[in-house]
Amino acid sequence: MNDPLDLHLQELRRGTVVLSCLQLLRTPGYGYGLLEDLERHGFATDANTLYPLLRRLEKQEFLTSEWNTEETRPRKFYRTSAEGERLADILTTEWNALTGAIRSLTDPHPVTDEEN
Amino acid sequence: MHSTLTSRYIDATARSLPAALEQDVREELAASIADAVEARIAQGEDRGTAERAALTELGDPSALAAGYADRSLHLIGPRHYLTWLRLLRTLLLIVPPIAMLGAGVAHAITGASVGEAIGESIAVGLSVIVHLCFWVTLVFVILERTGAETGTTWDVDQLPEERSTGTGRTDVLASLALVAIMLGALAWDLVRGLAVIDGSTVQVLHPDLWPGWTLALAALLLLEAGLAIAIFAQGRWSTTAAIVNTALAVAFVSWALTLLGRGQLLNPELLGSAQASGVDAGTMRILGTILVVSIVGCSAWDAIDGWLKTARDRRR
Repeated sequence: MNDPLDLHLQELRRGTVVLSCLQLLRTPGYGYGLLEDLERHGFATDANTLYPLLRRLEKQEFLTSEWNTEETRPRKFYRTSAEGERLADILTTEWNALTGAIRSLTDPHPVTDEEN
Repeated sequence: MHSTLTSRYIDATARSLPAALEQDVREELAASIADAVEARIAQGEDRGTAERAALTELGDPSALAAGYADRSLHLIGPRHYLTWLRLLRTLLLIVPPIAMLGAGVAHAITGASVGEAIGESIAVGLSVIVHLCFWVTLVFVILERTGAETGTTWDVDQLPEERSTGTGRTDVLASLALVAIMLGALAWDLVRGLAVIDGSTVQVLHPDLWPGWTLALAALLLLEAGLAIAIFAQGRWSTTAAIVNTALAVAFVSWALTLLGRGQLLNPELLGSAQASGVDAGTMRILGTILVVSIVGCSAWDAIDGWLKTARDRRR
């Protein structure tokens, strides 16, 4: 767990959970369902990281929430707010820029700015 | 419907949360755990195993609660740690020695025995150290929890000066000059006397010290000079040098304290004349205490200084 390799991987993945939650929750979702969706998309996340994170994003008004009591088990549904969508767009742009920047590190032909 | 493990887990998590958050977290967590358990049961686990596995995956409820409440899981975080460390280190270097010295001197002056004075000063020193560590840390923990700033930021002017470690030419010359002056004073005192009483000179040190004790002191001083030269030649302090330095300091302290304890250090004629001119016994006692503290203090510092320089040179 505290292997330097794992630590570096963890460090790199840290911010991606926020971005993937904001993107996935453009359609409303609840805690455990979101956990499974994230896993399916390749963002393995611990439940004890995700649940508090959802609350934090809600407090920061990037997510809104609503209790759905229509089904047998009442669940709290989260949804990305307008502000959250803006954040998701900014983060996605940043991610793409980083992808280009990282490629340029090893690319023999330097990337031009319009490619980013 | 909840079996006890799940309700105990939810209780342990939600209990410490603010009231506004608690009920909502309870209900959401109950649903999340139930979902996780059901998913495991659907994969063929029995209810008991599934429940245990789901709760184990969620981990320590206190950590989860800290996540919900946005609480930090450390006492003092990186924002305040260095300020805390610097402040505590500075205070620990200054306050306990002063308190110990003060307590020791106060007890010696008010008539306690040497043993009592030392014991009392150690007790005071320990309690000062404990109090310093506790209160300083408590203040920083509160700062950390309230999110306050200490207002201290680092700038380049705080870079430490490059310190001389006492291996340069100036240091060896200063040591040799000091030893020469001491030897000169010792010889002069022996032959002519350094103190003046009623127009005639008398010895400061006890006349009976010659030859054995006086020569022993001279030998110590010469060894001190030899050590300074050896360190200069080597260009750095070594463990051996620090040990020899400490041994010389200890030897000097025992030389001085043995003689002082036996009343054989200072010339009785000088003390008699001092008493005759109105210095009472209480004042003599205080002067004696100050003399002992200075001898022990200077020698202890000399020994510690040697070790500090050794440690510093080792890092170069």
